Amino acid sequence: MAEYLTIALSKGTLLKPTLALFRQVGLPTEGVEPESRNMVFTFEQEAIKYIMCRPTDVPVYVEQGAADVGVVGKDVIVEQGKDVFEMVDLKYGYCRFVVAGPAAMQGARLKELNYKRVATKFPVMAERFFRSQGLQVEVIKLHGNVELAPLTGIADVIVDLVSTGATLRENNLVELVKIMDSTTRLVSNRVSYRTKHEKIQPLIERVQEIVKGGVGQ
Amino acid sequence: MRNREIPRGTRDLLPDEVAVKRQMEDKAGKLFRSYGYEEVITPTVEFLEVVETGTGGSIREELFLFMDREGGILSLRPEMTVSIARLAATHLQDAGFPQRLFYMTNVFRHVQPHLAQYREFWQTGIELLGAPGVYADAEVISIAINTLQAIGLDNFKVSLNHIGIVNGLLDAAGLNPEEKETMRRLIEEKDLVELSALLEQASIDEALKEALASLPVLHGGLEVLQRLPQLERNATAAQAAQDLIKVYDLLKISGLSDHVVVDMGVLRGLDYYTGMVFEGYSPDLGYGLLGGGRYDNLMGKFGFPLPATGFAMGLDRLALVLKQREAEPERLLVGGRNYSAVIAKANELRGHGFIVETDVEGLSKAELEQKIAANPGRDLIFVD
Repeated sequence: MAEYLTIALSKGTLLKPTLALFRQVGLPTEGVEPESRNMVFTFEQEAIKYIMCRPTDVPVYVEQGAADVGVVGKDVIVEQGKDVFEMVDLKYGYCRFVVAGPAAMQGARLKELNYKRVATKFPVMAERFFRSQGLQVEVIKLHGNVELAPLTGIADVIVDLVSTGATLRENNLVELVKIMDSTTRLVSNRVSYRTKHEKIQPLIERVQEIVKGGVGQ
Repeated sequence: MRNREIPRGTRDLLPDEVAVKRQMEDKAGKLFRSYGYEEVITPTVEFLEVVETGTGGSIREELFLFMDREGGILSLRPEMTVSIARLAATHLQDAGFPQRLFYMTNVFRHVQPHLAQYREFWQTGIELLGAPGVYADAEVISIAINTLQAIGLDNFKVSLNHIGIVNGLLDAAGLNPEEKETMRRLIEEKDLVELSALLEQASIDEALKEALASLPVLHGGLEVLQRLPQLERNATAAQAAQDLIKVYDLLKISGLSDHVVVDMGVLRGLDYYTGMVFEGYSPDLGYGLLGGGRYDNLMGKFGFPLPATGFAMGLDRLALVLKQREAEPERLLVGGRNYSAVIAKANELRGHGFIVETDVEGLSKAELEQKIAANPGRDLIFVD
């Protein structure tokens, strides 16, 4: 009986470039469609299984070993703090964590944010960033539309993911500090990397080669 | 209502779970004893100073700490190697060496609980004190492999490495202690992305950069050492590689090398390791089963410099991989109207090795038959 290599894929915007990359790598992708309602795709011949996950769930599947490897944004890895091996920077899905505030705050320095209220969908990231700067803030966890927080007065600034910055501008917010850049990563389970090394290591090397040459979108 | 809660990350173990645990402990203990290891028990609590002297303070956040009434800070033991080093430094200075000790005990870490990770968990392990060199390392690794097999595991791998390889290369790179620590962590966590970013910025010789970048993915047989040409130019790393090869060869002579792979990314988190290090994995569990290695500087911190090597395995994790409880002797239920006849019969059967319950409810034969029908697994012996 062949041993399957199980790969957790992030649904949503990352799926298309990921499937394009997989085709280049030579992994089977036939029938794996972003619109499909299937949650598991099995390729018996190639002994490959895909699990379609919400991006935030990918590190969970990989850490627990339900998936051997996964494709997920660095932003999610940082926020979840899961114990996975980060093998390749796939370069696509670029975004960055920033601290942003009302336009009136343009040019404000970091230390001026001490004891402010920070609204975010990423409380772990926000808390850790301010603490590492020696600052204390009140983190307010929201589930969406974080840009509203400064406008409605429930927070002074926000910590959010930004790719082009258009959403910030539309809401009359400006980027104050960049916390970190994020791109998509190929991650591996700690044990799978060792017990299925003969499958995972060649995959990593093929992906690395292709990424160096630039991934076709 | 809090009267049914137990603290987060702790567990009740029910009879089936305890049975599996005891079976593993019996087999491991028997095996350790057959190699000349003797069991020791240390206090569940240690002074914080002892724990931090041993572990280097990096696990402070994981300790359960509290004060005693004299103002001392106590820690529930987070592992056993440090306690055994302290015990040996106190009690074994005049003993003959090498000393072989083992333990089976609960340890405590204030971690985020999840599957296979509890705040109170059970470890068994051995420490071989006072023996430098590859033969001692090979003995400890052999026992680790034999223990997994004795417990009933056959599908597992033990990854070997020698800390001296990465240390030698990092020293040659001329990094400051903080940078070294970061790189060690990135290699251990196999964070290839951060590692290559960090190496790109560093002003290190190109060949050395390449060697450091490759460490996390060097995994396989001894041939992976050939993919590190830097070894020849680095005395520390070359010596470490020689030791690694020698240990591998010794394991091969013992017929155990099928289970062994070389993995340059295995560094073990704790600061006290100085030489050979190893970890054990099963494909059925996403977390490691055992870990250990050589710690030649730890005993010296307790005023008794002595080379040492050992390992610990997690019994809770092994139980997750094994699960099934082994067959036990047949169970019987003895009942009857004549108490002395019942007791005599029961004792006779116990003498033959059966597990024997006696009826304590004064039931008739028919009632006992009903009882067994409702809850099978026992045969009825009714003494008339």
